Formats: sequence, structure tokens, C-alpha cells
Amino acid sequence: MITAPKAEVLQGTLDLLVLKTLETLGPQHGFGIARRIQQVSSDALQLNQGTLYPALVRLEQQGWIRSKWGVSDNNRRARYYSLTKAGQKQLAREKESWERMASIITRMLAGAERA
Amino acid sequence: MQWPNAIRYRLRALLAKKRFDLRLDEELLTHYEMLVEQNIGRGATAEEARRLARLELGGSQQIKESAREQRGFPILDSIALDVRYGARMLCKSPGFTFVAILTLALGIGANTAMFTMLNGLLLRTIPVRDPGNLVELLHHYPGEPEPGFNGFSLDAYRIMRDGNHVFSDLFIGSTMNFVPVRAEKLQPQTLFVGGVGGTFFQSLGVGSAAGRLIGPDDVHVGYHAAVAVIGWSFWKSRFNLDSEIIGKQIVVGDDPLTIIGVTQRGFYGLSDEAPQDIWFPVSLGPGWGASLLARLKPGVSIEQARAEMSGLFQEAVNQPDVGPFIRQMQLRIEPAGNGVTTPLTQMLSTPLKILMATVGLLLLLACANLAGLMLARGVSRGNEMAVRACLGAARARLLRQTLTESLMLSLAGCAVGVFFSYFAARALVRVFASGRFIVGAPVRFEVLTTPDAHVLLFTAAIALLTGLVCGAAPALRAFRTIPSSSLQQASRIGESRVQRLFARGLVVSQVAVSLVLLSVGGLFVGYLSNLRSMDTGFRRDRLLLVTLDTDKSGYDIAQFSQRFSALSQQLGGVPGVRSATLSDVTPMQGPGASGFAAPEGHPDLQKEVSINYVAPKYFETYGTPLLAGREFSEADRGGLPVAIINQAAARECFGSQNPIGQHITLSHVTLQKGETGFEVVGVVGDAKYNELEQAAPSTVYRDVFQGTFLPDQLSVRTETEPLAVAGQVRSVIASALSPVSIVRVETMNEQIDSAIVPQRLVAALSGWFGALGALLAAMGLYGLLAYTVSRRTHEIGIRMALGASRSDVMRWVLRDALRMVAAGLLIGAPLAFWGNRLAGGLIQGIPSARSLPVIFGALAMLAIALLASYLPARRAMRVDPCGALRWE
Repeated sequence: MITAPKAEVLQGTLDLLVLKTLETLGPQHGFGIARRIQQVSSDALQLNQGTLYPALVRLEQQGWIRSKWGVSDNNRRARYYSLTKAGQKQLAREKESWERMASIITRMLAGAERA
Repeated sequence: MQWPNAIRYRLRALLAKKRFDLRLDEELLTHYEMLVEQNIGRGATAEEARRLARLELGGSQQIKESAREQRGFPILDSIALDVRYGARMLCKSPGFTFVAILTLALGIGANTAMFTMLNGLLLRTIPVRDPGNLVELLHHYPGEPEPGFNGFSLDAYRIMRDGNHVFSDLFIGSTMNFVPVRAEKLQPQTLFVGGVGGTFFQSLGVGSAAGRLIGPDDVHVGYHAAVAVIGWSFWKSRFNLDSEIIGKQIVVGDDPLTIIGVTQRGFYGLSDEAPQDIWFPVSLGPGWGASLLARLKPGVSIEQARAEMSGLFQEAVNQPDVGPFIRQMQLRIEPAGNGVTTPLTQMLSTPLKILMATVGLLLLLACANLAGLMLARGVSRGNEMAVRACLGAARARLLRQTLTESLMLSLAGCAVGVFFSYFAARALVRVFASGRFIVGAPVRFEVLTTPDAHVLLFTAAIALLTGLVCGAAPALRAFRTIPSSSLQQASRIGESRVQRLFARGLVVSQVAVSLVLLSVGGLFVGYLSNLRSMDTGFRRDRLLLVTLDTDKSGYDIAQFSQRFSALSQQLGGVPGVRSATLSDVTPMQGPGASGFAAPEGHPDLQKEVSINYVAPKYFETYGTPLLAGREFSEADRGGLPVAIINQAAARECFGSQNPIGQHITLSHVTLQKGETGFEVVGVVGDAKYNELEQAAPSTVYRDVFQGTFLPDQLSVRTETEPLAVAGQVRSVIASALSPVSIVRVETMNEQIDSAIVPQRLVAALSGWFGALGALLAAMGLYGLLAYTVSRRTHEIGIRMALGASRSDVMRWVLRDALRMVAAGLLIGAPLAFWGNRLAGGLIQGIPSARSLPVIFGALAMLAIALLASYLPARRAMRVDPCGALRWE
């Protein structure tokens, strides 16, 4: 259903980051999510903030987040995204698979060194 | 669990594009403003803040496009784009689009029309229970066309029914009659009706839509029918599905019948071309009139059935009281799931198959033509493809684009073709209906021409295949587009060897197929003209045929003969009339009476003969030479029985002896009625009877005024155009012979034409297809040459600059053309010969000079090719070398 993604790895990571951000911060608008991701990664992830939006569309289409209009701190009208139940489950799944992947690679690298 | 939500979201996105776009716009704007605020908060100037914000956010167009790609059904979007683009491209070259769609429409339409007829007549199963194991029995006389006729005696039926082990059921079918039907509030009409036995509907498994169907209790020996069952569509069209139909009265022929039920929808009896509307019970008498149907037991093959039943049938025909001729009968068993064998199906099955093959070749030709067209067009769009590739289009995308275009073309061609084919099929059926076997019968178009699932599936399949095949050529080319080199190439000579060979190969194949079509067409046209000009044994021009209705005239034979004498005299006074005569049947009207003749005293020498009852001056009127003796005269009336025989009969009965004055005996065809002796008073030349393609049969002519029934065929020899005197003849008949009325007036040539409708049709259609094929091949050749010349203008310029004269260039182009045509003819000639041989084997009477059509076709192709090369050659000659060289 989804067209071939441009940068496979980055996209998957971005999804995870967005979901995690929404879990931590609660409902947020696009700017807020981007700022948080930058903060947490200590600016290591220098992605164009705009690439967030296609990801948000995708996540919403999958049913993991939902959106509605709200008012920001500065009384601006902004679109707020929040995690759905399905999104929470997806987040848990993705976290688990990340950790599993990370441990496998760590073990492999450790094993290689030993050998 | 995600899918329904996802799909719902996507659908919403699809339908509310604008709203989503606006929303995204607003979001991006808000984000931007927040970024600017943040940057200002960090100490940047307003200008700096804005610039930084723009950098951080990224290009808004790209973001929007990226978001759009995620949303909705992106595939649909890009397909929609492809379609819109394709439509625009096709509209830009209207000439190409028109020719392409027309070519396809012709190919697809012709195929669909043929297939509809083939399906309706031969392939469609009748709506009965288990059509797969339904078979019919036929008897076959040696020498007659296969498979034979479905008619058996009750004794034979009983013997076969009681002695067989291969059939789970053997039952009597229905007769076929064409009678006037009347009812209250109903227009009188003549319809096909059938007399059925008691187990007919049960054994077939036909259900009832109302009331009940005829059962065994309705049929008794000697019983005169009083009930009837009508068909569903008759109920609908004439009674408007009246719920009070049971118990209503209809008059079928002369019998009033009470309707007891309606058959299920879609049942018309067992032959599609003579759809029956009414059935009534009959019990059959002696004679060989019962048509037999059977159901094979599960596990029994038709071959096993044939083996066992042949033996049983032999037993039936070797009964002591059966005549020697009937003993020659053999049994045939044919599957009947597609309807029973009728003269129509027998006559049409081979021609239809031939036409189907021809039309398939035509479609192939059309496809090759279209592929060539699209190939040339694809190359000329090479530039455009190259630019798109440079701009980042994936190869698959380019492929999809060209395939979309060709599919659009083929779908459009399919739609137009189906539209054509509907009318073509109806026209075909109308032509068939003018044939002899169902003259005057209400041919029901919808039964024969309703496209059912098979036909539509078939059409869709060939449309799709055509689209893919024709699109493959330019698509493959697009696939191999390498951006930079193709941009350069596009302006120069620009084709690889393979592509050139492929394009020429297409033209060569078109020429070959066209040759086959032309020679097959030529074969059948020659065959038809043969039929039309062959010696029939009588003079066919200037002969007017009038069919009379003598049934309720009230005359007896003596009175009628007096009236006829008066009529002859009056007709003699009409300018343009030479002579007139009466007969029971006219030579090409259809099968008439037949019987067995033997020289008196030698009953063992019995031979089957055709019998016609004629009046005096018959042979003079028809122009059949009188070889010995005399014609019938008024003196014969009331005298001893006399007969005139033709040469074939004379040879068979009397060898080289003079038959005049000798006696022959004539027996009824069933050999059950007694013999009568006749004195032979004349011998006439052989004349064709009933079938043009078969040799003239042995014929015995009796004096109609010595018989008991009134003849209803009046034949008039005219000196001028027959129809010119028809009016006067009519008025003379009306006055001299009243109350006898005129049913039909036609010329002998018209009657012959109606007897050879299938042959005429095959000749006309195959001739047209041949011409069409030649046209297509010529167009293909022209297209390729024109394209080649335009692409190689540069090369021509160089040649001219190096000293080639204009005529050299023209010769170069012509040589190119002739090479392709020669290759096509070489490939096509053996195929054409083979095709003609095949056709000759399937249809008797095809002239054996079969190489003539092929040679003729080859010459025609050459001429057409030269014509097609004329314009491109001229254009090549006109190339200005300086201009061409400057093109680089």
C-alpha cells in the first residue's frame, strides 16, 4: 500500500521517534515533536524538520496516531497529534524489535572481536 | 485490524484532497512561524531567523509532494496521471489515434461478431438438465452428407429402447412445424411449434415457470391434441406474463388448444435457429418420423454407445417387412448438448469455422499494423522519453506510461468494435434468414446474437492481449532508453539494428498474412462465381417463379387444369411472356418428393429417384432439352399413367436401350405403399435439383394433372427482365385463377441465390477481409517507408551530395519496399497454398485450380505495394541535400 520509501532505515527510525515522543510528551504539534527529537538526540539528528510531515501522514494512515485542531501556547491554531491505543501497542512492538536487533549486533561485534 | 482504518483514511484522503492540502499548508506555516519565533528568541535578527527557519524546515514543495505520496492511494493517482497524459498525447495526434482505433475496432469487431454467431449456433449449450450427456440419434444413407437425419420408426425406437445398455433414457424428441397461431387479443402469426411425446420435458429436465408441462398422461395413441405448453418468452411478449395464462385458449394451425403450462425461461426447444414457442402432445403413427434423443449412462462414452447401438439398429432395419433401401441405413449418434443437428448447423458449421479463422488472421494483421504504428510513434517520442528519464522517471514508470496508452487504445477499439459487432451480427443473421431453409420464418435475433459471458470474456481477452502486445514494442524500447545517448540519437539516424529489423519484420509478416487472406478470399469468390455460372441443366435467366396458395381454393384437379389452360392462354397475351407451366416444386426450392423407381418386372433393380409433378410445357419453359419422346399434354389427362424420366434415370433403369414406350414402377419412399406402373413417354436432360453442388439426381417426372393434389408453383419464361412483367402476371393470375392467391414472386436467380446463402456469405466476407487485409498491409508498408525516409533524410542528403541522382534515391526506396514485399510473399505463399488446400478439403466443389488465387493475390500485393511506396519515394526524391546536411 505504501509506496517504496526513500530512505528505509531513517523512515523506520523516525516513526519510532515520533511515537515515543508522543508517548512521553502527550499530544503535541509538529513543531513540538521536531524540537523534542532534536533535543533528545542532542542535535545529532540533523534532519529537515519538514520530513516529519510525511511521516505523520503515514502514521495517521496506519491508525497509530490521530490528529485534531487545537490552540498552541502562543494562541496559535495548530494541529495536535496524539497516540492511539494501537499506536501504543505498535510502539511497544517496535521498541522490542529495536532492542533485539541492537543486542544481536552487539553480540556479533563482540564475538568478532574475540575471534 | 489496521486495514479497515487505513483504507477508510485513505479513501477520505482521496476524496478530500483539497482539504488535506490546505490543512498541510496551514500546519507548515504554523511550524515555520514557530521556528522563526524560536530563532528570534535565540538572538537572531528577523532576517536571520527567517532564513534559518526556512533551512530547518526544508523545501515546502518537496514536503507537500512527499506527504501527498503517502496519502490516499498513490497508485491510483499516478495511474490517473498516466491516463490523462496518455489522453492528451493521443489527442495531439488525431490521425494516428483515429487510424489505430479504427484498425483495432475492425479486427476486434469482426472477431466478436463471428464468435457470437459461432457461439449462438454451435457452442452454446441448451438450458436442459445435464446437457453433457445428451445425444441425438440420426440415420444416414450412404452417399448423403453426414451426419444424417433424425427420424425413426416406432418399431426401431422400441427395439433400441428395450435392448440397449448404454442409455439411461431413450426418448422421442419434438417435431418441428411452422404454423399460423391465433388467440384472442393476439395478432395472428406464424411460429415454430413442436409436437412432443409424453416423456419429452421430463427426460430433458426442463422445468416449468407456471402450470405444468406435458407428461405421459397427455399422450395416447390416436389422441388428438387438446392441450399445449408455451414458452416463457412467448408468455412474456404476447401475454405480458399474464398470471391467468393457464386455461387460456390458442389455435395452433387448425386445432384449438388449452394452455396448461409455461416452460422455464430460456428454453426454446433444441435448436437455436428455429426457436419454438408452443409444444403440444402427439402420438406418432407408422413411418420413420420420430426423432430420438438419449442420455448416456454415467461412465459410458459416445463411442461405446455408437458401437452397441449400431448393432441394435441393424436389427431394427433388418425386419422382414422393411424395403431393401431402408436396409442400407446406418446409425449415427451425435452429442446434442449444443442443440440438435439441423440443415442450418450442418450448412454453416464449416463456413463459420473458416470465417472464424480468417477473422483471427485479420486481427493478427491489425495488431501487427498497430504495433508498427506505435513503434514508429514511440521512436519519434524518443526525445520526450529521454527527457523524462533525465528528470528522474523510473524505467517502470515509462513502461507503465506506454502500456497505459496502448491499453487505452485497445479499450477504445474494443468498445467501438463491440458496438460494430452488435450490428454486424444482426446483419449476418438477417442474411442467413434470407436463405431458403427459413424463408419467411421469424428469425429471432436475440437468441442468436445475445452476447453471453463467453463472448464478452473472449472480447475482453483479445482486447487486453492486443493492448499488451501492441504496447510491448514501444514499451520495450522505452525500457532500454539510456538518457544521454538517446538525446543525441533522437536527432540523428537513431535506431538500433534490432529495432529496424523488428519494424521490417512487422511489415513482412503483414504482407504474408495479407497474401493468405487475399488468396482465401479469391478462392471463395471464384467458387461462388462458379456456382453462379454453372450449368444447371435448365436456363436460369428470365424465369419468373410464382408460389400460389392453393390450399383453400376449393378446386379439384380437373377444374384446376381447365383454369390453368385459360391462364396459359391469357398469359400468352402478355407481352414479354413466352410460356408458363406448373409444378409441385421448382428445382432449387428445396427437397421435394422422392421414391424408388425400377423397370417394370425388375423390382430388384430399384433405385432412389427424385420425383416432381409437372404440367405440360415444363421442359420448354425451363429450357431443359427434350432428348427423346414428348412432353406431357392435355391428352394425358384421364388416360394411362405416364412419366418422363431424365437421362440419369434412363441409364440406370434401361442402360443403353430406348426407354420410350417401356414401363417403370414407382414406389413410395417408405416402400410401404404400393407400386404403380408408368409408361415412359419422354426423356429429358439432367437438371440440378435441390443442391447446386451435387450432381443431378435421377429424376422421374409425373403429370401433375394425373394426380390428385394441386400444384402450387407457377413458372413463367419471359423474354425481358422477369420482374418487369411480374405486375401483369399477377393481375392475370388474380383474374383467371381466383380465389387462388399469390404467396411469393421471385426470379429463378433469386431462388438460386437464396439456396447458396452460406456460400455467398463466405465469399463476400472472405473477399472483404482479403481486401481489408491488403489495405492494412499497404498502410503498414507506407507507414514504415514514410517513417524511414523521414528519419534518414540526413543519410539521403549525404548520398545526394556524394553524387546520387534523384532517380537513384527513388530506386533505393523502391528496392527497400520490394525487398520487404518479396520476403512477405515468399513466407506467405506456402501458407496461402496450405490454407487453400485446407479450405478445399472442407468444402466440396471448390475448383481445383487453387494456385490461381495465390498468384492473383501475390500480383495484387505487388501492385498495392508499389502504390504505397509512391509517396515516400517521391518525398525521398525531393530531399534537398543542403537542408538535410544542415540538420545536424
